[in-house]
Amino acid sequence: MSRSIFITTLACVFVTLLATPLQGLLDKANIVMLFLLTVLLVAVKLGRVPAIFASMLSVLLFDVFFVPPRFSLAVSDLQYLVTFAVMLVTGLITAHLASGLKQRAQEALQREQQTQALYRFAGQLAGALTLQQVDELSRVFINEQTGVGSVLLLPAAGQESSLEPVSTTAEFAVEPRLTGQVLRTGQRIHSDQVGRLGYASLYLPLSAPIRVRGVLAIGSDSAEGKEVPVNHGLLDAIAALIAVAVERLHYVQVARNSEISLLGERLRSSILSALSHDLRTPLTALMGLSDSLQLIKPPLPPVALETAQTVHAQAKRLSDVVGNLLDMARLNAGDVHLRKEWQPLEEVIGSSIKLLDSALREHPVRVSLPADLPLLSFDAVLMERVFCNLLENAAKYSAGGRAIEISAHADSEVVVVEVADRGQGLPVTLPREALFEMFQRGETETGIPGVGLGLAICKAIVQAHAGTICAADRDGEGSVFRFTLPIGQPPAIEGED
Amino acid sequence: MNAQIQKVLVVEDEPTIRRFVRTMLEDEGHAVIEAGTSAQGLMDAGTRKPDLLLLDLGLPDGNGVELIRDLRAWSDIPVLVLSARNQEQDKIDALDAGADDYLTKPFSVGELRARVRALLRRRGRVGEQATPVIKFGAAEIDLSRRLVTRHAEPVHLTPLEYRLLTALLAQPGKVLTQRNLLREVWGPSYVDSSHYLRVYVGHLRQKLEDDPAQPKYLLTETGVGYRFQP
Repeated sequence: MSRSIFITTLACVFVTLLATPLQGLLDKANIVMLFLLTVLLVAVKLGRVPAIFASMLSVLLFDVFFVPPRFSLAVSDLQYLVTFAVMLVTGLITAHLASGLKQRAQEALQREQQTQALYRFAGQLAGALTLQQVDELSRVFINEQTGVGSVLLLPAAGQESSLEPVSTTAEFAVEPRLTGQVLRTGQRIHSDQVGRLGYASLYLPLSAPIRVRGVLAIGSDSAEGKEVPVNHGLLDAIAALIAVAVERLHYVQVARNSEISLLGERLRSSILSALSHDLRTPLTALMGLSDSLQLIKPPLPPVALETAQTVHAQAKRLSDVVGNLLDMARLNAGDVHLRKEWQPLEEVIGSSIKLLDSALREHPVRVSLPADLPLLSFDAVLMERVFCNLLENAAKYSAGGRAIEISAHADSEVVVVEVADRGQGLPVTLPREALFEMFQRGETETGIPGVGLGLAICKAIVQAHAGTICAADRDGEGSVFRFTLPIGQPPAIEGED
Repeated sequence: MNAQIQKVLVVEDEPTIRRFVRTMLEDEGHAVIEAGTSAQGLMDAGTRKPDLLLLDLGLPDGNGVELIRDLRAWSDIPVLVLSARNQEQDKIDALDAGADDYLTKPFSVGELRARVRALLRRRGRVGEQATPVIKFGAAEIDLSRRLVTRHAEPVHLTPLEYRLLTALLAQPGKVLTQRNLLREVWGPSYVDSSHYLRVYVGHLRQKLEDDPAQPKYLLTETGVGYRFQP
């Protein structure tokens, strides 16, 4: 400062010395101009305070050396007072404007440097492959730019609402309630009170395009004691950059996970289909070969034929069990690709009855569906399995000649389907829900074949269609299995013109 | 029946399955040609001129559907496809490529015999004068007069219902895929609107079947299509 005052003084003295020999040639007004020029130059070069000093010194020097009587502060002609006043005011205004200009230029320069630093930072973040790298980069950068410490807090794995610091190198603690609030509201929080207690004093949300990804806590490292710059646009910009980087890493992770699960699913499904082929081929051969023994000429003795029939029946039974197990494995593996189509319920009921055919020979099936039942969206092949399993059960557990009844009705959002029999009813020893568990048999000691997968398969299929299934005792005798299917928005059928 | 011995080509990679299929076919009085691969099968189909092709879709050396497509370029012999369950799309592809029917493994000898008989009978009938009157159950359809009656009472069918009915009746016993029927009756822009087909088949059953909920003639092949069973 003293150096610039010295330079200013020198400049003013120089102008005085320069102007003195020219007194006779130059008008007084032009000498004033020379002084004003000096003030302007000082303001531009040295700033506000030297410029104010220069304008005052100029007025003094002009008065002493140029205004008669010379070498005294006295003024003979009073109009020079106006000159002094104008000179002083002009000088001061010049000083103010010029130095303001200089300050803004400096600020612009600083901003540009910051912007460039942010660019570099953004570039570094773009290359970051892990959250640890993001944390490291941002900690270093924030410290470089503002001299304060920072902690990056992100949701813990699997938990969206509880935040954890990525690393714990900061010298201050983080207030968990404030971070939670910032995460919820997406608004920054600043509190010097908390800061004085050894916590971070500024909490910035990491607002990414999709959602708030975490919190950036800023606090001064107590050793250096540097003030936390509260209203610093730079910190907000840094937080935004970190947020985008964190979100990018999040989606990279999501993409990688879904790729892994896709691979897993593909593997599961190829194992299942290989297994299915390897199990079914010998069973098909076994069934066919035992069947074809009956065609041999000359015919086998009756005992041998009977054996062949038993082999065939057992192979069929085994094949059904294998089929059920594979279906259950498929449904359990989450490998259910529903081929949903809008269709009337009546059709799938008809095809199920036709498919069972011989199993239902002793049980008449009565179907009563209201004519205005809406079309439903379901996978016909799977729904056929549901009906087949329910009908098969009804037939298995009721005496010959007893009818099985299928009915359905719309009930606000869903269609309720019922398969009712006049059989032996539900087992008293089991809770109703347990019937639908895997490998659960109604009566464990009976000779009725099955492994207890039929109802579990029904449940899995109905649930895959966003429906529910339950069993109940029927008034009088027998049991009723009831399941629902959502109605949804059936497509319109254009009439014929 | 035709006194001439009919040749059946069996394309199946599993020898044990080939064996019992052969036993059954020979019991029926047919000559059997066996092939273990689709390449061999296609060659045999060309050189030995079989009357029927039994084709396993899960062949090790390639896609059975391709074989059907190649075969259909120069032959119209009936094709019966053997496939595993949960392979509805394969069945549909095979039928769209030109297969006539399918059997799901494991199947019984009785089922196989019934299908083989039906297909060979139909083949024998090709060239016979097609009758203009088709009867099933209580229904009677006079194609020449576009007249549909049930229990001798006239039944009113809308133009689309009639077109769908004739499409089904035109190929008795053959499984027609949904796409196939939709394209034929409604046109190519409707191939994905399967609900139309299902609703109209429902109408036909209401008007022509004794028990529409348990049809006997207009049958559903679940997940695949429809079949008119005379």
